[in-house]
Amino acid sequence: MRMSPSLRTFTLTAHLACSVGWIGAVIAYLTLVVAAMNSQDAQTVRAAWIAMELTGWYAIVPLALAALLTGLVLSLGTKWGLFRHYWVLFTLVLTVFATTILLLHLPTVSAFAGIVAETDSTDVGRLRGGLSGELFHAGVGLLVLLVIHILNVYKPRGLTPYGWRKQQEERRNQHEQQSVAPL
Amino acid sequence: MSHTHIEPDHNSPPATPLWVKVFASIVIVVVLLVGILHVTGNGLGGPGSHTSPIEHSMPQP
Repeated sequence: MRMSPSLRTFTLTAHLACSVGWIGAVIAYLTLVVAAMNSQDAQTVRAAWIAMELTGWYAIVPLALAALLTGLVLSLGTKWGLFRHYWVLFTLVLTVFATTILLLHLPTVSAFAGIVAETDSTDVGRLRGGLSGELFHAGVGLLVLLVIHILNVYKPRGLTPYGWRKQQEERRNQHEQQSVAPL
Repeated sequence: MSHTHIEPDHNSPPATPLWVKVFASIVIVVVLLVGILHVTGNGLGGPGSHTSPIEHSMPQP
């Protein structure tokens, strides 16, 4: 089903806002991680863990799910399709991968945030435990999101075998319609 | 989304572009690497390393 131009523009706007917002939220998350890793103040590290949990659940997850949903609607409602072009296919696979890792990993962040919030330890070294894992996850996540962004902007050429078959079908249909059209 | 590539009309599908092969290889390696790191717990932030040092310092019952 093809969307009307106005609906397509609205969905594209929402998709861009969510996708770019997702990248921004991950950068904010990385900022917290780096700040905590470099801080000597226990309160700062504790606050960073709590802020990371909040940023993850209330900014990154909603934006990721919204980007995935609007992307699906946009591809299925336009000529691009979901499986016709390699760049769309890669975008889908990477987005699902990034969202899955995010949802699997955030409970761990919540557990860490809960522990550091309850403890009255002032040992900065102990409070920093697990931050290297956060740097890895958020860093790889940001890299994946930037790759998705580049794919979406450049749209490199390449039809999948399914996309090629659909294109051939559409061409045949166009030829048939033209050949039976009255003069 | 303004420039759709029209493939030449042949009887067989066009060859897979080189960028797709390279890209797919990189994606597979990254996914496998992340998966192995998570399963083994040897990597940065895998399940095995998801234990806060604070937990170790808590008194045992």
